[in-house]
Formats: sequence, C-alpha cells, structure tokens
Amino acid sequence: MLTRLWPIAVITFKEGVRNRALYGIGAIAVFLLLGTQLVCSMIPRDVGKVAVDLALSSTSFAGLLIVLFIGINLMAKDLDRRTIYMVLARPISRGQYILGKFCGMGLIIGAAMTLLGGAATVSVLLTRVLYPNYFDKFTLSTLFLAILFQVLSLLLLTALSFLYSALSSTSFISLLLTVITYLIGQVTTDIKALVETADKVGIQVSAAMTFLVKAVYYLFPNLSLFDIKLQAAHGLPVPLTYVAMVSGYWFLFTALALVAAVLIFERREFP
Amino acid sequence: MIRIDGVSKSFLEGVRRQRVQALSELSLAIGEGEVFGFLGPNGAGKSTTIKLLLNLIRPDCGTATIAGGDVADPAVRRRIGFLPENPYFYDHLSADELLWFGGKTCGMTPSAIDARSELLLHRVDLLAARGRSLRTYSKGMLQRAGLALALIHDPDVVILDEPMSGLDPVGRRLVVDLILELKSQGKTVFFSSHILSDIERICDRVGIIAGGRLRLCGALSELLTEAGSLESVFLDVVRKADGGEVC
Repeated sequence: MLTRLWPIAVITFKEGVRNRALYGIGAIAVFLLLGTQLVCSMIPRDVGKVAVDLALSSTSFAGLLIVLFIGINLMAKDLDRRTIYMVLARPISRGQYILGKFCGMGLIIGAAMTLLGGAATVSVLLTRVLYPNYFDKFTLSTLFLAILFQVLSLLLLTALSFLYSALSSTSFISLLLTVITYLIGQVTTDIKALVETADKVGIQVSAAMTFLVKAVYYLFPNLSLFDIKLQAAHGLPVPLTYVAMVSGYWFLFTALALVAAVLIFERREFP
Repeated sequence: MIRIDGVSKSFLEGVRRQRVQALSELSLAIGEGEVFGFLGPNGAGKSTTIKLLLNLIRPDCGTATIAGGDVADPAVRRRIGFLPENPYFYDHLSADELLWFGGKTCGMTPSAIDARSELLLHRVDLLAARGRSLRTYSKGMLQRAGLALALIHDPDVVILDEPMSGLDPVGRRLVVDLILELKSQGKTVFFSSHILSDIERICDRVGIIAGGRLRLCGALSELLTEAGSLESVFLDVVRKADGGEVC
C-alpha cells in the first residue's frame, strides 16, 4: 500500500512546492509578519497579545491560501487536463491515488507551515526582545500548539476539498464549496449558541431554522475548535483533555472525508 | 493477451442527459506478440475502447481482460504500458522524475529505474533534456516522454492512443521503429492511429471500428491482397457503416 502511495505523494509535493503561487503566498506571509512589527511599534499597550494574534493570523491566512490555490488546483488539474490518465494507467487503485495526493498535500502544508510558523515565532520573539514587559504570561509551547492546530485544520480542509473534487466536475465548484465550508466552520458554534439561547436575548427563531442550524453544525466541521489564538495571545493554558478531544475530532472528520472521497472516486469514470 | 467480449458502453450527454451509444457489443481478441492497429474515423469509439481497457471507464455490459486478468484489477496494469492521446504530465516535473514515478508505482528498484531511464531516454532522444521541467517541452518531446513512461517497467502489453499525433516525420519514424522493436521482443502492441501508411508498415492485424461497432477485423496481409490498399478498405468500410450496412 505504502509503496504505491509514496510516489504519488512525492510528485504531488514536488509539483506543489515548485508552483510559483507558493512563493507569492510566502511573500504575503512575510509581509504580514513584518507588518506585525510595525503595528506593535504603533500601539501603546497589550503589545504581546497583538504580536501573537497577528503572527498566528498571518500563518493561518497563508495556510488557507495554500489549501485553496495549491491544494485544490493540484487535484483539479489532474482531472481538467486529463493528467489522471497517466496516473491511473499505473498499477494503483483510485483509493491509493486519493490517499497519495492527500499525503503529498500534507507534506506541502507541513513544509510551508514549518517555515511560516518559524517566521511567526521569530517575529513574536523579536517583539518580546523589544517590549519585554508585555510578555509575562506568554509561553512558546502554546504558540507551537496553536500552529499545530492550524496544520490540523488545514489538513481537514484539504480532505474536504478532495471530497468536493471527487464529487464535482470543475475546480471552481470545489473551490467554492471549500470556501463555504471554511466560512461555516468558523462561525457554526456561535450561530448554534445564538439559536439555542435566542429566547434569552429576545430573538424569535423558528423550529425549522433551529433544525437547519443544528444540521449544518453537525454536517460541517467546527473549525473554530482548532483556533486557540486567544489562549496563545493571553498566555492561557490549554488543557490536555482539550488537545486530545480536538485531535480525535480531527482524526474522525478527516478520515470520514477521505473515505467518502475514495468511495466516490472509485465509482467515477474518466471519459 | 487482450480480450474484449460483448462490451457495450453508453454515455449521458448534454443538458437533457441524452444517452449516446459509444460502443455496441464489441468483441475482440489480440494474441501475444501481435501488433494490432485499431482504425476508425473520429468519434468511432477507439479511445473509448482504450479507456475501457485501462478501467478509466466501465462497460455497461461485457468483459475485458488483459493477460487473463480483469482490467478492473490494478495489478493487471503492472503488465500494461499506456500512452494517452495528447499526453499531459505534471508541468514542474522533469522527464527523470516522471520515469521515477512510473518505475516506483510498478515496484521497480532505484537502480533498475536508473538503468531503464537511461536506456529509454536515449532511445527517445531526450537524454539532453532529461532534467528540464516538462512544461518547457514541445508537443513532440512530450509524446516521446510519454512513450518512455509507458515502457519504463518493460510491460508485456503496450497500448498507444494515436502515438503519431503531433509528431514530425523524424518523431514518427522513431515511434514506428520503437513499435517494431517491441514486436521483435514479443510484446503485444495495441494502437490506434489515423495514419494508414504507418499501420500498413507495422501491423500484423487491423480492426476497423465505426459508429461504436467493429466493422472489420483481420490479418493485414489478407486485407491488402483482397483490396490493394488499406485506404480503400478503410474508406469502403466507413462508407458502408455510414449507410447503415453491417460488414
């Protein structure tokens, strides 16, 4: 199984990292991280929180761009340009193709986030040197955990984008569905909480709407679970049980998305 | 070596999802070591047949086997080399990396891949360009890189979809020589082409498909003895097919 996955993962990684879009995304991230220094020099207080928040937001944004403009493209281009004929003519199954692509994209995300996370860490540490009074609660471990959670969130989004690519015939639809999933994933907890406590704040919500919101909540991944920028910025501890719960949630959702993608892809034809 | 039994295939096309019959009860058997030319006008069903043999599409009914194994089994493709029509590869990979991928997916060792790559890249005249990214290749160079990829694992069956398409006379000569070399090695070659003169030079047998049905299949020497040229056989078969006659 692995001997068949590895070549697909390697060529996916090579094709992805040589894409010029990746360098553009890297440049945006560097620009944002430099901007962090500029913003910190302009504000009079809470410099530590702002520095951590901005650094993590930059890595998160750049990571999202990588999934949307490189990840989806890598798979969609195979289908649009019929490169898939060349790949599936080898002795590999459709499932191995999907999993190999996912591993390759995982390598790209891992490499990119290592560089971006490294730059974010340097940016935060530099700010700490310049403004040491504002970093009394800051811990590097929480910053690293926040970056690791971002990596998990991007991998989950990638798995879902593969599912959408397996379902749809054009890369635009995959892109659109992935963006919608990302947006829903960010706000789904807040909207569910609002609907459930609507009476207390004097808002009337129909039963149908409550059902719809709950359905969306359980159908789409809750990406806000992976966002611990607040804890990292304020130096709040992240319980081990929370880390375990989020890791389990990530594994379950990613595995489900990949299994569904494989099952759909197995049935698909390439005329 | 290649066996197609009663295969039919239809597609749903257009907004109104109308069913279009691409292949009707196609049966074909190609023996080991045979070079088989698959002819037909555009839209006749040649590429559909090839895609069925590679399990890229599945038949509505009937079966297709290669070397005794169902084409749906990925392991069967270990014995197949395939060159698609107008091959598209990964833009940022080099020919060397493409062949590494081809060899690895077939379970070849790194040293075997290196040796075979050297041999094939020399054979298709791409040694000097082996490290360049494929997006800088001309159409003919891509076609030759595709041929090297199809042959990297030394397959028993080689399936080529319009291998001469887009090649200059030198490139065409190279492909013809390569197919003759495969024939001398006892490989089974199944290829589709529009270039009748090339088919006349290299094929043992030909099949002519039109309107999704196999209209004629036989030894090339017999057909040429009866009709004089492959072109007249081809035009006659296609004309009859257009008129609704079954050969």
